[in-house]
Amino acid sequence: MLPDDAVERIVEGAQSIGKICQSKGIGEWEVVAFQSYGHELDIEAGKITLAAGGGDGGYGVRVLDGGRFGYAHLVDVSGAEHAVSQAISIAKVSPSVEGFSLPQNQKSTDVLGRCDSKILDVGPEYLLEQADSILSEVASLDSRAVVTGGGVGVSATAGAIVTSQGILSSGITTSHGAGVQVSIDEDDELTSAWESSSSRKLLKSIPDCIETSVHWAQCTRGPIEVDSQAVDCPVLMTSEGFSPLFSVCIPAAAKGEKLARKESFWSGNEGLMVLANDLTLIDDGLMEGGMGSSSLDGEGVPRQTQTLVENGRLVGSMWSTRDSAQMMAEGRIEYAQSTGSASRGSHQSPPYTGCSDMILKSSKGGKSRDDLISHMENGYIVHSVMGAHTANPTSGDFSVTTSTILKVVDGQIVGPIKQAGLSGNIAKALSNNIILGDRPIIQDSYSTGGMHIPDVLVMDGFRINPA
Amino acid sequence: MVISSSPSNSEITTGRYLDQRKIGNALQQAVDFGASYAEVRLVAETGSSVNLRDGILENAIPGQEVGVTLRILADGAWGVHSTTDIASLPEQIESTVRLAKAVAKRRSSSDKPVQLAEIPIFQDEIHWRPKKDIRNTDLSTKIDMLKNIADSASDHEKVVSTTCGWSDEHIHTELLTSEGMDRVWSFQRSLVRGMVTARDDSEVVSYRTRYGGEGGLELIESCDLGQLGNDAMVAALRLLKAKRAPSGKMPLIADRDLTGVYIHEALGHPCEADLVAAGDSCLDGKLGQKIGSDIVTVVDDPTMRGGYGAYPIDDEGVNTRAKRLITNGVLTEYLNHRETAAHFGIQPNGGARAQDGLHHPLVRMSNTMIMGGNHDTIDDLMEDIDYGIYACGSRGGQVDTGKGSFQFAAQEAWLIENGELTTPLKDVSVSGLTLEILQNVNGLTRDAKLAAPGFCGKGQTVPVGDGGPIMRISEALVG
Repeated sequence: MLPDDAVERIVEGAQSIGKICQSKGIGEWEVVAFQSYGHELDIEAGKITLAAGGGDGGYGVRVLDGGRFGYAHLVDVSGAEHAVSQAISIAKVSPSVEGFSLPQNQKSTDVLGRCDSKILDVGPEYLLEQADSILSEVASLDSRAVVTGGGVGVSATAGAIVTSQGILSSGITTSHGAGVQVSIDEDDELTSAWESSSSRKLLKSIPDCIETSVHWAQCTRGPIEVDSQAVDCPVLMTSEGFSPLFSVCIPAAAKGEKLARKESFWSGNEGLMVLANDLTLIDDGLMEGGMGSSSLDGEGVPRQTQTLVENGRLVGSMWSTRDSAQMMAEGRIEYAQSTGSASRGSHQSPPYTGCSDMILKSSKGGKSRDDLISHMENGYIVHSVMGAHTANPTSGDFSVTTSTILKVVDGQIVGPIKQAGLSGNIAKALSNNIILGDRPIIQDSYSTGGMHIPDVLVMDGFRINPA
Repeated sequence: MVISSSPSNSEITTGRYLDQRKIGNALQQAVDFGASYAEVRLVAETGSSVNLRDGILENAIPGQEVGVTLRILADGAWGVHSTTDIASLPEQIESTVRLAKAVAKRRSSSDKPVQLAEIPIFQDEIHWRPKKDIRNTDLSTKIDMLKNIADSASDHEKVVSTTCGWSDEHIHTELLTSEGMDRVWSFQRSLVRGMVTARDDSEVVSYRTRYGGEGGLELIESCDLGQLGNDAMVAALRLLKAKRAPSGKMPLIADRDLTGVYIHEALGHPCEADLVAAGDSCLDGKLGQKIGSDIVTVVDDPTMRGGYGAYPIDDEGVNTRAKRLITNGVLTEYLNHRETAAHFGIQPNGGARAQDGLHHPLVRMSNTMIMGGNHDTIDDLMEDIDYGIYACGSRGGQVDTGKGSFQFAAQEAWLIENGELTTPLKDVSVSGLTLEILQNVNGLTRDAKLAAPGFCGKGQTVPVGDGGPIMRISEALVG
């Protein structure tokens, strides 16, 4: 999938841009380069409808002069002179951030599992066979079920960073993803569920998400009647339902800059209790196979495994080089340094602070889903929400909708309800009576990186508003 | 390797990136290999973004991206190849035809092969030239304009921070097809935005604002940026004192922003013919049926210049026109592209859009609006409401098109008691079922307009305009 010399070519390109920076007398510069190739298939209405492949990429150049920085991006090195000139002209009008300097080359830890050579060999035929298998599996699990949307895809990305401070790093990452919307439309009742799986390793032919999607399309059929009054009650959020809301609110709250600017609901609580006293929140930048993990962050600083909240107490925060320098220069904090938390969406953006692989765990361990249901006694199970992106990351408040919701009475699931609103404040809920499940599922997120959140039983603070 | 050729004259919008003769040969080669249709679409985007934090420049990012997509229909199935490496495109012809044929082989006997509706073939150029080309705007002008927002948004002790942003883009597209289509078009989009964060003890809130659309610098100059910032600040300060919304079913009045998001989510997406054809729309089989109240008429109009979702030609080269999705409550038209037009046996209506040159076109909305009604003011809409909600400003929404269930969130709201606005509220969301709530629209003011610009995600992200008048819904689920 990836040309054999892909890494060498982008390193060479980045170095040539670096030389242009040097020739223009720039003291500090950084060039990043990405080149991705991939294959994907679309599935609609129970069949494969389109096969696509290709690649894209480009370069980003950051220049720094006396604490002033400029940035520009380009698709090929023939535009480098112009891009570097643009970056320099922007740096000239940018404010100087005292103490802001690009990071030096530092010793870092290798992170395993970022590239699966098997994915590099995957071609369209493999994906076609996988899609066929998925369609057959769905039909075999339930003859009424149809994959109304989704697809499978693989990609490989060659990436490189070259800087004036001696950083030269490059490598290949791979990914394999599958997602399906399974619908059952029978007797004038349509139920559906969307599930997905992604990994840096080759997924098995039929990923676990396939069975899960059929299960939820099945178990939400035949809604029961419930009182339409809103009720504050225990809610068991499955990992799939909770991770999106969590990813909108919690990573943002743990950014050092937001804490310093008082934009986080945790601002002013450094060293104080912010979560229930058994909960620990870790941003693991070194997780084997983690979607957001790597030996270096987006600006070449070694990533680390960082505890942000330990037994409920806020003990850490995430920083990039510039954010830490700027907050010190503005006098908002006495000291901070990069925690290796600089992320980079693509070559088109300068580095920004973000999480890598975020883990929520409890010192009490985790309970099985059956135990959580039994413990909640009366309440609801919510498996997915609509509108998680509308949650308010500043306050932690959210008000979303779900149609994959089951009612629980006396510790037993009594049936689905058609639709309900779900509202609350995620920060407050996590600081109260929370019980975690025992099975974190890796989820994509609205934040950078991956979420590794188990089922969460929220005993207080959530409201269900049946339609 | 990433290689893109430059246009013969990058200063002029009519400069071509693609070598017509070479691409023509490549398309013919695709036909020779067995393609029934082949196209090459190139998009070159020149743009910039500027961001201020507390009135100080945080970053400014200029850039140019070029992407090209080869799309081939062979044996009734699609094969697609996208790349930034234009020069490599001819080498991908044979493999992409093979890809399409491999997909076709998997089609069951009961599935219909993909066909394309006939369209007029053009060889022309259409350039929507702005009054003030955004590419000629220097960085200091952009910073000064954003500072207007920042200064007026931060003039209160409880405002802890402001962020302001600018983004502009000049979009140049070239489309060549095996049918002889050779079209070039270009236009610009410009946008400013601001966010105010305010804090009172442990209470922290934020409010976002946006202004922009299709056009150049003249568009931003037409906006009172100081007022935009001040309004955002006042709203943020109001939110500090706002109460949590009540839950339950009640009358709802939505401002222009929310009306737009509502119609986008609840109706626009289920009207997309690719979802209808896939069996993933609650509006499947409902053309010609009454699905809304008599006062509901909805249009989707990419020709509405100035709207953030405007475009002169769709990404299959089809001329654009206004689509009337609902007329007096009756579903009258789906949004479509050539494939779905053929599927339903109707004319293409210019609804094909791709995110950029590296994506293939899907059926998408453009500028979507409910048309105005016969009420003069919001007071007219409120006077009959004993207890309800007035919700304003959008924080986005989402829809499950198959089930027809949707959700959207407001930035702020008020309680309506005995026909008057009383308590400010925060974190209000509204949800419901498309086929129920369209029937519940029972009041619209006369003045339908596009509201703040937005972005729509459907695997690909495209800019859209939404709007309408102020709208009253007799009963909605508020949370």
